[in-house]
Amino acid sequence: MQAGLALEARNVRMEYVDQATGERLLAVDRVDLDIEEGQFVSIVGPSGCGKSTFLKIVNGLFPATDGTIELRRPDHGVAHAMVFQDSSLFPWYTIVDNVAYGLVCQGVPRKEAQARAKPLIDLVSLTGFETKFPYQLSGGMQQRANLARALTVDPEILLMDEPFAALDAQTRELMQAELLRIWNEAHKTVLFITHQIDEAIYLSDRVIVMSARPGRILADIAIDLPRPRKLEIKRSPDFITYADQIWSLIATQLKSHLHEVQAKPGESVA
Amino acid sequence: MTVGSQGLARSRTPHPRRVSVAFLSDRVRYGLIGFLIVIPLWELVVRLGIVKRVTLSAPSIIANTAINDLLVNRELWPHLFQSSQQFFLGLGLALLTGVPLGLSLGLFRRLNYFLDPWLSAIYATPTIALVPIIVLVLGLGLESKIFIVWLEAIFVIVVSTMAGVRAAEARYLDLAKSFRASRWLTFTSVILPSSFPYILTALRLGTTRALVGVVVAEFFAANKGIGFFINFSGTTLRTDRVMLGVIILGLLGVLMGEGVRRLERRFERWRPEFN
Repeated sequence: MQAGLALEARNVRMEYVDQATGERLLAVDRVDLDIEEGQFVSIVGPSGCGKSTFLKIVNGLFPATDGTIELRRPDHGVAHAMVFQDSSLFPWYTIVDNVAYGLVCQGVPRKEAQARAKPLIDLVSLTGFETKFPYQLSGGMQQRANLARALTVDPEILLMDEPFAALDAQTRELMQAELLRIWNEAHKTVLFITHQIDEAIYLSDRVIVMSARPGRILADIAIDLPRPRKLEIKRSPDFITYADQIWSLIATQLKSHLHEVQAKPGESVA
Repeated sequence: MTVGSQGLARSRTPHPRRVSVAFLSDRVRYGLIGFLIVIPLWELVVRLGIVKRVTLSAPSIIANTAINDLLVNRELWPHLFQSSQQFFLGLGLALLTGVPLGLSLGLFRRLNYFLDPWLSAIYATPTIALVPIIVLVLGLGLESKIFIVWLEAIFVIVVSTMAGVRAAEARYLDLAKSFRASRWLTFTSVILPSSFPYILTALRLGTTRALVGVVVAEFFAANKGIGFFINFSGTTLRTDRVMLGVIILGLLGVLMGEGVRRLERRFERWRPEFN
């Protein structure tokens, strides 16, 4: 693998068998992707395009049918950690135990893990909520804990699976700004999955646009906007040009998908 | 922060509590109306001789017997003590064996396939039909009674615990897998807490079944215990005592159920009160 890269994916394919119909479906097809160390890369695409599947392959939750994914071997910490779509905090653990969970999984004693989780809890601005249970926190705060949990194991690359999708629009905006602040402090490579175009542009150095199923890479767009970025940047002309460009790519995908559905009137739209 | 949070926690409580008090008062009100209609009617039916005293007894007679047997001659206490002993030993053993068995059956598919036909067969057999064999093997002592209680209680405990293991949510299992949790840690951090509410349900169901087991055991091979007391009183035409025994069993069942429900509430502090 090339020096300076955090992730190198070559020709990744993922096939699965639909349990209901027995049909073989292609979820991800011929994905080549390089991510440089420290880069913030987003993947956008129509829903069901296999972007989350790709992330889960990187995370090792699914096996790829074909192709290779290489991750930079870290000097310290772990290769990757996942920030889940729903916060997936254990309701039976307090916040500090949830955040420390990744370390406990590595065999770190609980007390030490809690101590090491503390700075990350501070980083995501959850100071004072250590002994609360997840249900006592708002959705945005739960996602902060979710992020802190992934950061605690000191991953080379942070995998984020639509982490703000379930939040209301205002909280989501704030969380995006927060994420950039944290990213700036933690210096991590990030692979971020979203279906929100403006979120992808605002956060990323590069936006990868994926096609409708089977997911292929349609475009790889470098986002040349100055950092640090304020939320106001979303209303700048450059930003809007990027958004239009990406939206038109996705729109063609949605249209062709619609035609496909209309062409086969007998089948159910699933 | 801690102080503020406690304030928060307290401010959450009044609402559900107010709801439950309103609910309870309605419950109590209508429950009382039921009693006020049925009890005098029952008394009347017996007093007027519509139904014989021997067949139904009467509330006033039962109350009198209760005072006599519990406070004056205290005849009932040894029976109660005997039954409690069997109940707690039998239920305790059923929990100690049933919960680990249920967890194992939920975790290990092959063990499940292996044991399932046997469990289903024994589950379908009324325990009472096995009493003669149990007495033959274990004798007439405490052992056979504890075994009968154990047998009555264990299946619901196994089945409910097993369901608890299956109830572990995929997203939590994914999370554990994603952080490369060991099998043991996955068990203690995800599967066990997920199945905990089900284990408490197992306890509640097991309690009811164990009570049935106590009566079954004492009906057939005993000279002491509430079940024996009921059976013996029946054969000597003391219907008032039969009724008293039945009422005591009913009350015990309700009390145990309420106790477990309290335990459930206590242990589920991580859940919001109303989802």
